[in-house]
Amino acid sequence: MHGSGAEISREVFWNILGPGFPTEQVLLYVLVVIAFLLFFHGLARSGFFTRMKAITSAKGSDVERVNNPWDRFWYMVTDVFGHRKILREPYQGVFHLFIFWGFVALAITTAIVFLQADIIWPIWHVWFMEGNFYLGLSLFADVFGLVAIVGILMAMARRYFMKPKWLDEKGEDKVILWFILAILVTGFVVEALRIQATETDPASPMNPYIWFSPVGRTIAFLFSGMSMDALRDTHVVLWWTHVLGALGFIVFIAYSKLLHIIMTPVNIFLRPDTPQPPIRVMPPEMFENAETFGIHNLEEYSWKDLFDTEACMRCGRCVEVCPAFNTDKPLLPRDVIQNLRTYMENKAKFALDADGNYRIIPDEEYTGPALIGDGIEKDTIWACTTCMACVEACPAYILQFPKLIDLRRYLVMMESDFPAEVMDVFKGMENNSNPWSIGAHSRADWAKGLDVPLLSEKGEAEYLFYVGCAGAFDDLNKKVAVSLVKIFKAAGLDFAILGTEEGCCGDSAKKIGNEYVYQALAMANIETFKAYNVSKIITMCPHGYTVLKHDYKELGGSFQVFHYTEILDKLIKQGKITLKQPIENLGTITYHDSCYLGRYNKIYDQPRDILKALKSGSLVEMKSHHAKSFCCGAGGGRMWMEEDLGTRINQKRTQEAEASGAKTICTACPFCYTMISDGIKELDLSEKLQAFDIAQLVAKAAGLDQKTNKAGGEGEQEAAN
Amino acid sequence: MNTVVCIKQVPDTETLIKVQGAGIVTEGIKWVMNPYDEFAVEEALQQKEKMKAGAVTIVSLGPDRAIEAIRTGLAMGADTAVHINDAAFYEKADPYATAAVLAAAVKGLQYDAIFLGKQAIDDDSAQVPAMLAEMLGIPVVTMVVKFEVAPDKSKATVTREIEGGQAVVEVPLPAVFSAQKGLNEPRYASLPGIMKAKKKPVDVKTAADLGVSVDPKTVVKEMTLPPARQAGKIITGDDAAAKAKELARVLHEEVKIV
Repeated sequence: MHGSGAEISREVFWNILGPGFPTEQVLLYVLVVIAFLLFFHGLARSGFFTRMKAITSAKGSDVERVNNPWDRFWYMVTDVFGHRKILREPYQGVFHLFIFWGFVALAITTAIVFLQADIIWPIWHVWFMEGNFYLGLSLFADVFGLVAIVGILMAMARRYFMKPKWLDEKGEDKVILWFILAILVTGFVVEALRIQATETDPASPMNPYIWFSPVGRTIAFLFSGMSMDALRDTHVVLWWTHVLGALGFIVFIAYSKLLHIIMTPVNIFLRPDTPQPPIRVMPPEMFENAETFGIHNLEEYSWKDLFDTEACMRCGRCVEVCPAFNTDKPLLPRDVIQNLRTYMENKAKFALDADGNYRIIPDEEYTGPALIGDGIEKDTIWACTTCMACVEACPAYILQFPKLIDLRRYLVMMESDFPAEVMDVFKGMENNSNPWSIGAHSRADWAKGLDVPLLSEKGEAEYLFYVGCAGAFDDLNKKVAVSLVKIFKAAGLDFAILGTEEGCCGDSAKKIGNEYVYQALAMANIETFKAYNVSKIITMCPHGYTVLKHDYKELGGSFQVFHYTEILDKLIKQGKITLKQPIENLGTITYHDSCYLGRYNKIYDQPRDILKALKSGSLVEMKSHHAKSFCCGAGGGRMWMEEDLGTRINQKRTQEAEASGAKTICTACPFCYTMISDGIKELDLSEKLQAFDIAQLVAKAAGLDQKTNKAGGEGEQEAAN
Repeated sequence: MNTVVCIKQVPDTETLIKVQGAGIVTEGIKWVMNPYDEFAVEEALQQKEKMKAGAVTIVSLGPDRAIEAIRTGLAMGADTAVHINDAAFYEKADPYATAAVLAAAVKGLQYDAIFLGKQAIDDDSAQVPAMLAEMLGIPVVTMVVKFEVAPDKSKATVTREIEGGQAVVEVPLPAVFSAQKGLNEPRYASLPGIMKAKKKPVDVKTAADLGVSVDPKTVVKEMTLPPARQAGKIITGDDAAAKAKELARVLHEEVKIV
């Protein structure tokens, strides 16, 4: 090899090939082929193909996964190479980026060397790996190799010193970092030995350029005292060690979480491109025909749900952000996915016949552990607030919580098995169209004496103000509804409410798993909206906002839906509302992002812009905010359930607000407003912290509040209690 | 064990009630199964499940809309139903007439026990269980909070609520039992239950079919709603002593109770 005589280059296979026939080179080819064969053998042995059979036999429906393939491909490429999601967590993001790009660069370098030494030179006798190109390549490989080592050391520092409690610790986790570090280090030592043997001699044509391998050169100083024979012997041994290590790495991928190198990009390609994390659609006619609802059997999931379990490499980002986990509840989104995978693996093995063929076992024949209860525990299923933090955090675009909703659907609709306190919620929704079980006839009582236009009297209006159950029935949130209509009227907005014709939006029913009741509620609303030719809707509650805007489409209701913060922000910016009176005693303000406004609908700026426009106090952010905001604990129907496991989510969030140094915490969601207000009371923080909905502050600042223009006046707090 | 459950459809407790003459305006009312009857249905279902045999029959007197309450019972798991739909009864039935027509409907059925709610939450008469038992010539145990039946179905051991405590009563079957809150936790009908309920047989009968005519012993002459609650008054004052003084003045001069 290296018969080209190029001076500014290096001999590939230096010290490896003997004279004559390149036996060692051929041996390397054979080893590479064996490594790839062992990789596929490993896949088979680790149950990969059986799992794939199970995945492809799943029957559940799913959203489009391969539409716009080129867009998907490009998104995948940019996401994989640009670490779009991975970098959301700076420390983990950076070390993964370092390791990733280090290995990509080394793979590119190896590919170039392979092209040169094994294809171009033997066939055409051309040597392009020389001169500036060679020096550049040498520097490139050295620098990126070092970058990868830095990344691995950072990962080790996290695993062995920082030890975040959400980090998984399995057998393979103890090995992987050391393994790849060993491959890199042996690579550098091999390089250093070669440099010491061939380039340190001032007579060598490479000697002036020796620092183009900065890492290798530096390590070479360690070997300056060694004899040429010792250098050569050590080099040969370490070269083969390095090669076997690298090939072993390929085989190891098949057996370990390293398979994510392949599966995660595939999952990114297959990501849902819906505006919301898709929850499985149940077409209304299904309720007439189907025999079973929700999921209690693995095969009832979609192939993609099961494929998600292949893409999960247990990074734990979903656990880190999960409000249930962070308050010591038995829900770790990662473990939901991993348990599903284990369950699938076991069931798949169970479903293999003697010839190794896979078959779906009929329910009545299957005697193994149950999916609900054994595979995934009920407490886990009920702990979820559907806050979407897991889905948002997952770099592999896995849908964690929607899988739990399928299980809730089965428990609720098939087994009537749900937390006892939810019974009244369902009955309230069914009989009085609100979860508070307050008489439906009193839905518009909050508006008495305010001269709020009713759509039934007005006939039509530009906007329907859909108040929602909280604004209509909950004393605390009625005040927000009152503030909003005062603002709308002052701004001259053409709006009306439905009064007693309004019904519950159904979000809580849907997320608790009662799709049947949700659809009945939704269809009643859609019918009313259509009867009045409603096209634009303003909602007070982000939950209603989400279902009206997105989910009602599935049932034939397509409307332009706005959250009130979008409208107020616009009205303020247009000068239609003048915030003329700064509000006293607000102090520093912090804004609590509602999950359904923020993560679900990407409304982050409008609420903050409104608060800035108040000119009544500076704005600070809590530890978690925007897309990483921490749930108040009320989503997913948790508003209506006892929180008897672990600590309370609303208290944790309230403590975050306190720690931010804010005196006022603002919400834009009735559930959040309730939960945070309760948190302040439960933690006895009323002296230090006060909660308001943004709409109340706007009404005050616009001089629309009859009461004194001081926030947190006694009367105000009393009424809030 | 075969059981009969007599249920009544009543206005939802939260619904807006408007009085009109000696009755209420029925328009706009949300109707539900009488909550105490839900305990009765649940107990019948639990007994059937425990004995792994028998059938649960719902019997209800009411107009067309009462079918919704009957379907609710069927959705919970009852097997069949008898719907006594007779305008004459709907207009004038008092507890006695109701018990008479229920007794006529039950007579043709096979049963080891009859369950009812302890009272209907609309007229609060609480008379039907006892009258029904009398008319059928069988014992009655009211305010039942625990029910156990002997394996041979010859007798039941029943815990009933009494003032300040509980009493355990033994009674030969068949007998009538009226359910008190605490007897069980009524189930939420499953979706397949709701779907199946739509296809379960409901035997619609008139009073004439049953050979009874309406013969009420009481007539409602008038109905009134309780007076609307007055808004509360917050006593203000500079200190506790001033507030106490003002409170005393208000109680003495305005409320006139001291």
